[in-house]
Amino acid sequence: MPDATVASPLLEMRGIVRSFGAVRANDGIDLDVQAGRILGLLGENGSGKSTLMKVLFGMLPPDAGSIVFRGRPLAGHRPAAAMAAGIAMIHQHFMLIDAMTVVDNVMLGWPEAGRVLRRAAMAARVREASRRFGLDLDPDAPVASLPLGRRQRVEILKAILRDAQLLILDEPTSNLAPSEVAGLLAILRRLRAEGRGIVFITHKMPEVLEVCDEVVVLRAGRVAGRTPVAGASPQQLAEMMVGRSVAAAPAPAAQAPGAVRLSVQGLTAPGLSGVTFALCGGEILGVAGVDGNGQIELAETLAGLRRARGGRITLDGRDITHASAAARVAAGLAYMPADRAHTALVRSMSVAENLMLRDSARPPYARGALLSPAGRRGRARTLMGEYDIRAAGPDTPAGRLSGGNQQKIVVARELDRRPAVLVAHQATWGLDPGATRFVLDRMLALRDGGAAVLYISSELEEVLAIGDRIAVLADGGFAGVVARAAADLPQIGLWMAGRAA
Amino acid sequence: MSGPVSSLPAGGVARAPLRLRLATDRLAVRILLAVALSMLGAALLIALSGHGPLTAFAAMAVGAAGSAHQIGAALNRTTPYLLAGSGVALCFRAGIINIGAEGQIAVGGIGAVAVALATPAGMPPLLAILAALLGGALAGAAWAAVATAIHIGRHVHEVLATLLLNFVAVLLVQQALAGPLGQFGAGFLQSPLLPRAIWLPRLPLIEAHPGFLIALAVAAALSFVLWRTRFGFALRVAGASRPAAAYAGFSLARLTWGVMLLAGALAGLAGGIEVLGVQRRLIEGFSLGFGFKAVTVALLGALEPLAVVPAALFVGLLEAGALSMQRQIGVPSALVAVIEGLTMMFVLAATVRRA
Repeated sequence: MPDATVASPLLEMRGIVRSFGAVRANDGIDLDVQAGRILGLLGENGSGKSTLMKVLFGMLPPDAGSIVFRGRPLAGHRPAAAMAAGIAMIHQHFMLIDAMTVVDNVMLGWPEAGRVLRRAAMAARVREASRRFGLDLDPDAPVASLPLGRRQRVEILKAILRDAQLLILDEPTSNLAPSEVAGLLAILRRLRAEGRGIVFITHKMPEVLEVCDEVVVLRAGRVAGRTPVAGASPQQLAEMMVGRSVAAAPAPAAQAPGAVRLSVQGLTAPGLSGVTFALCGGEILGVAGVDGNGQIELAETLAGLRRARGGRITLDGRDITHASAAARVAAGLAYMPADRAHTALVRSMSVAENLMLRDSARPPYARGALLSPAGRRGRARTLMGEYDIRAAGPDTPAGRLSGGNQQKIVVARELDRRPAVLVAHQATWGLDPGATRFVLDRMLALRDGGAAVLYISSELEEVLAIGDRIAVLADGGFAGVVARAAADLPQIGLWMAGRAA
Repeated sequence: MSGPVSSLPAGGVARAPLRLRLATDRLAVRILLAVALSMLGAALLIALSGHGPLTAFAAMAVGAAGSAHQIGAALNRTTPYLLAGSGVALCFRAGIINIGAEGQIAVGGIGAVAVALATPAGMPPLLAILAALLGGALAGAAWAAVATAIHIGRHVHEVLATLLLNFVAVLLVQQALAGPLGQFGAGFLQSPLLPRAIWLPRLPLIEAHPGFLIALAVAAALSFVLWRTRFGFALRVAGASRPAAAYAGFSLARLTWGVMLLAGALAGLAGGIEVLGVQRRLIEGFSLGFGFKAVTVALLGALEPLAVVPAALFVGLLEAGALSMQRQIGVPSALVAVIEGLTMMFVLAATVRRA
């Protein structure tokens, strides 16, 4: 094990470019990691963090750029080669076999375990390393019996035993309880003290300030900023993360909002810690926040796909807290899920069948228990015209359409019902600018018609552009709500980072 | 860390949403190709055993359809496969892997015989037959209900719940024959012969019982249910994507109950028809393998009830012809099991989509 001195760069990535179709996920990124330092890699979803790490780990070949690791170039490599060179990646979802013990998982796919497994020797090494780093792992414990924090330590242990000099941790704290987070940070400090380099991908600023030596912020595939943590203020980091660029031209403001249409009081559920808000007709409430802070839980609990544990939801004065998803649709609640591929649409089914997905009990789609193919096709033709859904015909499978046209099916279905309230989650995700404009325009039209819209998105700029009020979801609750006119970016950044006002 | 046990096995057949337009879809071509390949494999085996494949196939064809009597026997053979198979197809369409037809048929036989033996002698024959068949269907549905209750109530995977209850059902037949339904002093596990009035009548000319016609009507009705009713739409959505079904407002539990009871009733009806139309009494092992072949024909028919008709006929004719092939040229009839296995493998290879 060549001892890396603190000054020498462990990893140098230069000019990394990687495109997916027309999207430049990485657009000329430079990244240096020093041995014995912890680098925080920040950025919103889609800013290119994961792509960059996949390129480094050999899961994706770059279109351009070079990687030098421990003085040796790394190109055209596969994950196995990256591991052999001394890079370890600890994924958000652990790559462990639950039914096997800790030591079995450590031996899995590791040549040093021997062709005939040397189980006792390996268990001894697990014990030794566990002591040295304070991992507190029993080699003979089945992984299934371990809490998530311990499982993560098994992954770290694998990296240590395989002599990894660079550890990449992809949002390692997102699934951990606060006490487990403290334990993890302590382990990272010990690894740093041993002279290993660490890339710590996270959204959470308190952790960055606590453990990182320097921070690199990515935005839209480029490095938006890099700074040592020492001396940096949280304010400064928040601004860098959110970006100073002003949001796109704001949408024309609504007239005075009408009566309350959706009222949510103290809504709790797994992942939601007491959400309260009131949404008026003619108003769009934009919900910003880093993904994984309760967005899907809020959307699905409102839509009736998850049970509320406590609190109250009323729609136009009617209590729908415990109503079924179908009853909520009938009561006037429309929902555009973020998961277009498996929830909002059935890709193997036709455009016409997808248009009737949530309305199959109503005319013109059905009469009694029987479906009406003629009614379905006729309605589909009308909607395809009104919403500009480009498909060969009503019987074309939805999966053959472009992403924009698929989303138009969802928009047509949910808006054609003339809903009182629309919950839209990541409604423009992955759409090209034209389709994005189309979706946003339809929502504005819906609002102007007197409906209320809850617009949940991790794209802050879009939330700022469309929301009449802006709420920030952090850690399962609203960290703050402001009128758009009064919105203050650094404040929103702090809210997003999990700091109450 | 494992997900809910009730989720589908990865890469399971029902995962692949099999859309069927028999005339045009390449799926039909692929299935026919798979059948042709399996026949080719069988020809190879026959040749290896020192016989002429063409002679053997000819003997099989004559045995299956050479006379009105033989056609009738082949159709009788086909009937349970078609009835239970189209019910299984509907379950698979909804992503519910029901392997329990085997047990549901057996329990259906018990139900039909129990009703038939309890029927007062003076009852009009038609009414008595209908009552016995209804008894079979209800018994099959009840057996399916046991599996469904275990699956939904205790989150046991439906493959396990349905499969394991098959073995219990077979033992239940033995128990019934050793006890209340058994013929005293027969020396075999069998019930007394049913009264002649309750036997299914024979159709003119082909000497088959009318079960095949019932099965045909059922297949047509199920195809209608699948494509033209809200229930069928919900089944297809659930089979394609569970989250989409929840989003659409369909209750998975209600769908599962509905389709399992339906398939169970049809399997039970198949058992009842077999007992009333062929065996005329309950015999130990009277339905051995029927339910598993129902799964075969459901897959062979691409989970489309109407396409299960030719699939069931293929298996039924094959089996009816096999005995005659063995008698005439000495190729063992066990070869049919080989052909069925080969067909199954080729069909699965041709239709299951890779993840």
